[in-house]
Amino acid sequence: MTNSGVLTRIEDCIPALRRYAAALLRNREDADDLVHDCLVRALDKLHTRRDDADVRAWLFAIMHNVFISQLRRSKARPSGEPLAETHESIGTRPEQESSLHWRDLIKALNQLPVEQRTVILLVSVEDLSYAETAQVLGIPIGTVMSRLARGRERLRQMTEEGDIRPALRRVK
Amino acid sequence: MSDPGRPIAEEDLHAWIDGQLDADRQLAVSRYLQDHPDVARRVAAWRNQKDALRAAFTAVLAEPIPSRLQLDRLIRHRLARRSVIWRMAASALLAFGLGGAAGWFLHNGLQRPGTAAITLLAQQAVSNHVVYTADRRRPTELGAQQRDDLARWVSNRLNHQVAPPDLSADGFSYIGGRLAATPDGAAGLFMYDGPQSVRLTVFVLPLKTASEMPIQPVDFAHVDGCAWIDKGIGYTVVGKLPPSELRRIAEQVRQQLSGTT
Repeated sequence: MTNSGVLTRIEDCIPALRRYAAALLRNREDADDLVHDCLVRALDKLHTRRDDADVRAWLFAIMHNVFISQLRRSKARPSGEPLAETHESIGTRPEQESSLHWRDLIKALNQLPVEQRTVILLVSVEDLSYAETAQVLGIPIGTVMSRLARGRERLRQMTEEGDIRPALRRVK
Repeated sequence: MSDPGRPIAEEDLHAWIDGQLDADRQLAVSRYLQDHPDVARRVAAWRNQKDALRAAFTAVLAEPIPSRLQLDRLIRHRLARRSVIWRMAASALLAFGLGGAAGWFLHNGLQRPGTAAITLLAQQAVSNHVVYTADRRRPTELGAQQRDDLARWVSNRLNHQVAPPDLSADGFSYIGGRLAATPDGAAGLFMYDGPQSVRLTVFVLPLKTASEMPIQPVDFAHVDGCAWIDKGIGYTVVGKLPPSELRRIAEQVRQQLSGTT
C-alpha cells in the first residue's frame, strides 16, 4: 500500500518537528513529548490520508493541535504563562559566538503572544509557505501575514531598542 | 499578487523577505526599497532576525533522534499495546481471585479463548444490527456522503484504522454507519443496502485478546452472520442472507479491512 511512502515521509519530518517543538517549548523534554504525541496521533490518523502529498504540513497541523490543547490545559492552572519564561537549552551554548545575541532574540520571541510566535517560527525557521502556515494553524492566509508583520516588528523593537521585560533582562 | 503596480504594503515587505511574491512583484518591492532607505533598514532588520532564528534552532536538526521518537519503535509499541492490556487484566484477575462472572469469563476465555471471544463479538454485532437496521428513518449517524468523517471518528475511538469496506461489487451500497457501544468498549458499525432491501451490517470491535480466528458462521434467532478475528480485532458481517453469500461477503470484507495496516 501507499503507507510505506507516507511513513518514510513522516520519518523525514521528525528532525524538523523536534526543532519546531524545541522552539515553542522552553524544555527539551517537553518538546520531545510534544513530538511523541504528535507522531502517535499521526499514526492513528494515517488511514485518513489519500496520498503522500503535504505530509509535512499535515504533521505540523497535528502537532499544533496537540500543542494548543496542552496550552489550554496548562492555562487552567493558576500559575499560568509557562511559556513566557526564558529558553533554557536552545541558543545558550557558550562556545557559540553569537549565542548572546540569540539568547536575547529567543527571550524576546518568548514574550510574543503565542499566535505570533507560531507564525514566525513556521515561516522563518521551518520555511513553510504562507499557504502552508495557514493550513497548519487553521487560519486565513491574511491572518498569517498580519501576525507575521506584527510579530516581526515587535521582535525588532524589543531586540533593537532593548525593550525586553525587565524581569527577564540578562545581566551582561 | 495579480497587480504589480499597486502600492507596497507592510505585508509585501515580509512576503519579499520570505520569497512569497511572484517575480514582478518581487522586483517592484526591490525598487521600492532602493528608493526608501528607512524602510529598507527595517526590512534588513527583519531579515537578520529571520536568519538569526534559523541559526539559533538549526542545531536540533543534527541531533540523533531519541529512541522513543523512532517511528518503527512507535509502530511496534502500538501493535503490542492491546495484548499487554489483556495480559495485565488476566494477571490481575488471577492475583485477586475474583469470582462470579469474571471468573467464569476467564475460565472460558482461557479454555477456549477464540470461541468465547467470537460468541461475545457476535452477540454485540447482532444486537446492534437488530436495533439499528430496524430504524428505517435514521439507521445511521453519519450517512454515505460522510464516509471519511465516520472512518476518522471510528478509527480514533477504536484506536485502530478502519474504513467502511466497499461492497458495491456484491450488490450492496454503503448507506452510512455509527459508533456502537459494547461492554468491551467502542465498536464501529457500517450499514449497507442490498437487493430486495436486505440490510447488511459490518461490525468492528477491538477485542482484549490477540487471538486469530478464521471466518465462521454464527446464527441467532432471526439473522445469520459470519465472524472472525484478525490481530485482536473482531469482525462480524450480519444480514438475512444465505450462508454461502454471507461467507463470500465476509471474505471480501476481510480482504479489504485486513490490508489497511
